[in-house]
Amino acid sequence: MKIIKTDVAVIGAGGAGLRAAIEVARTHPDLEVALISKVYPMRSHTVAAEGGAAGVAQDHDTFDNHFNDTVSGGDWLCEQDVVDFFVKAAPKELTQLEHWGCPWSRRPDGSVNVRRFGGMKIERTWFAADKSGFHILHTLFQTSIQYPTIKRFDEHFVLDLIVEDGQVKGVLALDIAAGEAKLIQAKSVIIATGGAGRIYRFNTNGGIVTGDGMALAYRHGVPLRDMEFVQYHPTGLPGTGILMTEGCRGEGGILTNKDGYRYLQDYGLGPETPVGEPKNKYMELGPRDRLSQCFWQEAQLGRTVEGPNGDYVYLDLTHLGKEFLHERLPFICELAKAYVGVDPVKEPIPVRPTVHYTMGGIETDGRCATSIKGLYAAGECSSVGLHGANRLGSNSLTEITVFGQVAGEEAAKNALEISHGDSQGLLDQAQASLAKYQAIKEFDGDEKVADIRRELGLTMEEGVGIYRTEEAMQATIDKLAELKDRYKRINLKDDSEVFNTEWLYAVELGYLIDVAQAMAHSAILRKESRGSHQRIDGFEKRDDENYLKHSLAFYQGDAQPKIDYSTVTITKSKPAERVYGAAADQQEADKKAADKLSAEEK
Amino acid sequence: MSKRKPYTREMKADWWRKDSFFTMYIIREGSSLVIALYCFMLIAGLFSLTQGQSSFETWLGFISHPITIVFQVLTLVWTLYHSYTWFQLAPKAANLWMGEKRVPDSWIVNAMYAALAGCSALGLIILFL
Amino acid sequence: MAEIMKMSILRYRPETDEKPVWQSYDVPYNHETSILDALGYIKDELDPTLSYRWSCRMAICGSCGMMVNGQPKLGCKAFLRDYAGGELKLEALANFPIERDLVVDMSDFIAKLESIKPYIITQEPRSLDDGCTTQTPKQMEQYKQFSMCINCGLCYAACPQYGLDNKFTGPAALALIHRYNNDTRDQGKAERMKFINEEAGVWGCTFVGNCSVVCPKGVDPAAAIQLGKVESAKDYVIQMFKPGE
Repeated sequence: MKIIKTDVAVIGAGGAGLRAAIEVARTHPDLEVALISKVYPMRSHTVAAEGGAAGVAQDHDTFDNHFNDTVSGGDWLCEQDVVDFFVKAAPKELTQLEHWGCPWSRRPDGSVNVRRFGGMKIERTWFAADKSGFHILHTLFQTSIQYPTIKRFDEHFVLDLIVEDGQVKGVLALDIAAGEAKLIQAKSVIIATGGAGRIYRFNTNGGIVTGDGMALAYRHGVPLRDMEFVQYHPTGLPGTGILMTEGCRGEGGILTNKDGYRYLQDYGLGPETPVGEPKNKYMELGPRDRLSQCFWQEAQLGRTVEGPNGDYVYLDLTHLGKEFLHERLPFICELAKAYVGVDPVKEPIPVRPTVHYTMGGIETDGRCATSIKGLYAAGECSSVGLHGANRLGSNSLTEITVFGQVAGEEAAKNALEISHGDSQGLLDQAQASLAKYQAIKEFDGDEKVADIRRELGLTMEEGVGIYRTEEAMQATIDKLAELKDRYKRINLKDDSEVFNTEWLYAVELGYLIDVAQAMAHSAILRKESRGSHQRIDGFEKRDDENYLKHSLAFYQGDAQPKIDYSTVTITKSKPAERVYGAAADQQEADKKAADKLSAEEK
Repeated sequence: MSKRKPYTREMKADWWRKDSFFTMYIIREGSSLVIALYCFMLIAGLFSLTQGQSSFETWLGFISHPITIVFQVLTLVWTLYHSYTWFQLAPKAANLWMGEKRVPDSWIVNAMYAALAGCSALGLIILFL
Repeated sequence: MAEIMKMSILRYRPETDEKPVWQSYDVPYNHETSILDALGYIKDELDPTLSYRWSCRMAICGSCGMMVNGQPKLGCKAFLRDYAGGELKLEALANFPIERDLVVDMSDFIAKLESIKPYIITQEPRSLDDGCTTQTPKQMEQYKQFSMCINCGLCYAACPQYGLDNKFTGPAALALIHRYNNDTRDQGKAERMKFINEEAGVWGCTFVGNCSVVCPKGVDPAAAIQLGKVESAKDYVIQMFKPGE
């Protein structure tokens, strides 16, 4: 097996991975970076993000506002010191992207424009029409090209981390076209592999979003934190799950049920705001978890529209006019026309909630370091503590660049302190690991990868969906155990080496099942409702006394994962009731009055 | 050893016949052949003029021959087709702005037709004056 | 209920095939089935050995370019309903070597994108303390369209000049030069002019125009190249009168 020695290996070349690689190359031209991705960088799923990236941009906004929106949006499960760092770094990183060429949408005077977004008190979402992720990704990819120290390993699939004495030493990567494995020996390794949305059947995610990095770290003993928190985006297209950005609502789009009624006002998000006058944190600009839950409630009441691909409601943009829609939401217009045959200028778009984002991930500290020395994680695969129990839209595009930068900085620092050890032991480890994965091709049985993948998606949707019960979660846990067992009997037909995708899909399925188990087991033990984890079996309330803590899932091989907990860092925002609409204004007024009173008493 | 063996498909000489878009492209480019021949014919006319009246009359006879007239009509049609395709594509090579908006493609195309009509009219006026 | 479509796919497995061979599958479809969905059906239900690239399913990642009845298309944005009553023939993107089945070797395309300095170049580094650069919507309009390329490679499959001689820099890379050269934040035009001026640059283009027709994102590479020719011609004249060179 070929050995390649590098200083920093980055797994995943989406937004976070590219930003990390650039940081190392830019600040340490003497360090070499191996940027490894199972696809070409511009295929990474950052590309599909639409709405924008949050960062304080207006004079009447403050870091505290962004902090408070994020922490309450996350139902107080955020690491507040991390959020504090994040909101301050956000505008700088978004400005950096501007300097690198990101075509942020502009105001007529040439300054960067911002739009409204769900759960954000003041407009602070920087956007590039409705292709923000696409432009960020391509900007970062193209920027990375100028650094000769970044050696890309495109279409290289990482099969394993190489860890020795509690320290990461490199990765085992397979050149997909050549069918050959390489040991990439590295002093630091950054995991930036994105989420795991493909665990579910209906999702907004690309086929590559299979939790690879999460599973790699998890299998080496790094805990996955807060995995029960899975975000349903309220507006996906029925059938495909293709994303209709929250920017639609930020620009004034409304949600109506089958009677044309704006049902969100019935669920604590009102009172109704006039059409064409969106108000921050009211109605359609509530957070994603709430909106998805409202859909479910409407469906229970029989007020959604029945369709061949499941129930749906309407996302109505028709009042915004053709010119405006084509300027601000051209991609949405294109997608709606192509995939559901609807022109948003003329008709409302059918939408339903669909799995979008994993709030949890590889546990890291505020500087992206995991429990394995030299191993870092950034972006959706990580749980740095930013999103808590529910992510606010547009915080994640900022996250990839803020924490991509941090991961790069920390990984470089670590690489400078370490020298390469002997390769032989690592090579032996890599060979053994490769043999284990090669063995999948020889499994004896008649199970099909596609069947297991389909059943996985269904059972996760049933048990660990928008609303959860002990009974359904237990059924899912049992099903996952069954699937994991059946996985050992999958039968692969393709024994070739060049671009053998059947085998790689099987490896990915193994990753998906492990990560799904972490989700389901974390979920069943959280006996409360918080953010995107909502229970309807006697635990409908948030329980700060017992569950204001992070869950940690530890891999146990064939046995079920072990779940532990860690404390949540609270600095300046004490947990309070999480409210939106008029109730939020009332809460703020009450708080101000109380603060004034206590100040007067002093 | 890697078992990679990328396969390169050959582009055959008749590639342009497989797709109507390419066929039309080759027809467009083919106009250059008849235009070249037509130019030679005109140059021959000029040359014959220097050789005296009888030479020029022979040339006049040559271009009045039914076969040459068919050729000239062919050249005219083919050239007009080339002009049409060129006018369609012309906006791509122009980056014209009016205030905050790009000049619509149709304006540029129409301006080209207007210029063609103008030049042709001018030619006819000179000819018949 | 679902109709059945006969799909023929040009298979090539380098370990066993001397050259590509056609293989047919019967695929059920309805009004919403994309070609990518159909490939997924084949992969899952009929023949797991078929290889193809895909990811986003929404025409933005640029993975699933292929020839559909001879035309370059994104598999996720072409639908079986549009070929009802006929046969569908799928083939790897033209003008690229076939790696396996519908997967092509993209390395030449990627190398071309990398070669033309596709990033903001400034004489003096900009400081983050200075905040964002000012750029009016009109200034942005000068390059915005050309920043929409998803690198799917369809324009290379549509370009006979690239097919005849792959030294030609090609539509996407030339459009990308135009994108950066016309960005008010960039000062690297002088460095990029050589990529435009060279024979493999804009002058390798004979204005077939098919690149702009097949582009799934409405980028107009042909326009970028023709504007590049104007720039190149101007550059040539300027160089003639430049003293001392």
